[in-house]
Amino acid sequence: MKKKMVCVLLAGTMVTSIFAGCGKKTGTDNTAADLSLSVTTTFAGEDGNAQNYKDAVAAFEKQEGVKINDASATSDETFKARVQTDFQAGSEPDVLFFFNGADANSFIQEGKVVSIDDIRAKYPDYASNMNDDLITPSLVDNKKYAVPVNGYWEGMFCNTEVLDQAGVEVPGADYTWDQFQADCEKIKAAGYAPIAAALGDIPHYWWEYSIFNHTTPATHLEIPTSVDEGNGPGWVSGMEDIKGLYEKGYFPDNTLSAKDDETFAMFTSGKAAFLIDGSWKVGGIAAACQSDAEDPSTLDKDKLDKFTVTYVPTNGERKATDLIGGLSMGYYISKKAWDDEAKRDAAVKFVEYMTTDDMVAKFAQHTASALKEAPKVDESQFNSLQVKAIDMMAGVTSLTGAAQDLFNGECRVSTFDGMPQIVTGEVDAKDAVAEGLSAYADQTAE
Amino acid sequence: MESSIYKKKRALIVFLVPAFLFMAVFLYYPFFRNILNSFQSIPSLGAGSKGWNTPWYTNYVKLFQDVNMRRALINTLIMMLVTIVGQVGIAIVLALMVDNVGKGGKFFRTVYFFPIVISATALGLMFNLIFLYDKGMVNQLLELLGKSTLTDWKDSAHALLVMMLPVMWQYVGFYFVILITGLNNISEDLYEVAAIDGATRWQRVRYITLPLLHNVICTCIVLAVTGSLKVFDLPWVMFPKGMPLGKTWLTGTYMYYQAFNTNNVDYSSAIAVLIVVLGIITSKIVNKVFKEVEY
Repeated sequence: MKKKMVCVLLAGTMVTSIFAGCGKKTGTDNTAADLSLSVTTTFAGEDGNAQNYKDAVAAFEKQEGVKINDASATSDETFKARVQTDFQAGSEPDVLFFFNGADANSFIQEGKVVSIDDIRAKYPDYASNMNDDLITPSLVDNKKYAVPVNGYWEGMFCNTEVLDQAGVEVPGADYTWDQFQADCEKIKAAGYAPIAAALGDIPHYWWEYSIFNHTTPATHLEIPTSVDEGNGPGWVSGMEDIKGLYEKGYFPDNTLSAKDDETFAMFTSGKAAFLIDGSWKVGGIAAACQSDAEDPSTLDKDKLDKFTVTYVPTNGERKATDLIGGLSMGYYISKKAWDDEAKRDAAVKFVEYMTTDDMVAKFAQHTASALKEAPKVDESQFNSLQVKAIDMMAGVTSLTGAAQDLFNGECRVSTFDGMPQIVTGEVDAKDAVAEGLSAYADQTAE
Repeated sequence: MESSIYKKKRALIVFLVPAFLFMAVFLYYPFFRNILNSFQSIPSLGAGSKGWNTPWYTNYVKLFQDVNMRRALINTLIMMLVTIVGQVGIAIVLALMVDNVGKGGKFFRTVYFFPIVISATALGLMFNLIFLYDKGMVNQLLELLGKSTLTDWKDSAHALLVMMLPVMWQYVGFYFVILITGLNNISEDLYEVAAIDGATRWQRVRYITLPLLHNVICTCIVLAVTGSLKVFDLPWVMFPKGMPLGKTWLTGTYMYYQAFNTNNVDYSSAIAVLIVVLGIITSKIVNKVFKEVEY
């Protein structure tokens, strides 16, 4: 009899444990003491603001007594897929720092985030320090959802030690494609890889600028309807430019098999001369010059002085000083958190805390922000590369958003993941672009 | 009274039901749902279906036209051969040697089993460093031996070998332990009798050990072949997105790529169905070829 009882109890426990997580939570049992917010951002990994973010979260937790369950991760395609899946599965974060382009379309279409106007109806001062004209509206309904913090730019970093060895000057504001190719030839002859890029892993920056070289700041964001119309021929020419550079041997020998961090290490260790990347790499390069990547006090200033950042060579109507950049991300508050009265206030407070004038200035550094009145930045706190970035930004003639932010998901497969096939000639550039545009047409038709 | 629990079947059912429910909810339902998904149009992960594909078998037609899928199938077949020869084969040799070694048998068992307890992701990162182009262990060793140029071990010519070596190395210990257990079940008396009859060490292995290990080897081969169909973590860490030039796709990595990188969920479901079908077919073939025998 005893055994029977044990059997029944054990079986009962197993059944209960199976369904333990399936119950639907009704209402909220959060009290001020145990209130927590789930937050996802891209301030992680090599992002230059990863430490600023950690510090800010710790200070917010101390000030408000709200626990932040942080799930920040490096921004890549896997991160984007994870966020979108979380929204679809109903396990979205309460606050999200995410892209404001096509990547956000799916959860905005489903009404899973709250617009800034809706938040202002209850919290009139929400994001009131921001210039609304600079907040990017959604592609879905033209409403504004994401409160921006720091902008970004994409430029060309140079390892001046390699340039000196090859007898090449640091490129300036009027740098042309022909000059760039002549410099690459010299660098290659001196035994270095001219361009640090992993075309098999992250061809994104070359993709964007190669296309930008054949469009203009005014037309760059127009996705062509076919390879023969609008920007279509420019897109094909852009891909062929990358192919040309590959055929001339200007990328590292392992560009098709290397990961981005490998070619980045080649650049920082003095084996490659040029690197096209985003403003977040300023922090990454500085970290590579520290003996302890987590501790800025261990920075080797002499080593960092050997790096600079400049404009990307032009091959068309675009001026070299026309850069890709803008405010592509911001803080969203999810509908789920908004509908939870206990969390609503905490979520609003968190976004307000992370977007105060001082906080934005701290995060933005050498990039743009949407602040109405940006506080004066103390440049003495900046390292030499940050100062060079500020100097470069002073000469920028325009900042244009990235076309790839509008061209996401399956559309990118043929020209992003398919870049190795394009540069090796396995797939014709025109066919690859046509395949991507066809996927885009299908996507926008849905 | 004490043994009534074994006579009355009701108690057994009470124990079986939770496990059955668990399997039904977390295995069979997703499996059948996945089959349905493969015929439908699903815009992204977690999103609802937008209806049936037109025609409904679109994804299965695509499977046969997709160059990357063809490459994934060929590589998976190669992986199967590698697992049979490289994992089970080497495990047999090691098990026989360790079984015959006098002292240190336990030491070798631990050494060979150790890779199994390390996570595949960690192993992938470690082998990435070993085969790194610039400052990788292999290239540094070659440099010490006088080689003046760097070799890209992850290029098209070497990628498949470099991907399969760690996978092979990782699982040798698994089959080694199974085989060692099989060897321990062979009576020492048989070896003693054979030795008295004048059998050499090789003859004892050939005519006693291998025939009596036959069924264990069969089990190992079935596990190895079906396991090779779902190899994912280590290859993905070393060669994400089929790098380079789509030369390293496996059915498992390609399915993941379609689901999580391109958001092509329904096509990914079709690949998953194909993996299951291939698993059933190959295990049937292996069972047929390596029939279990009764002694």
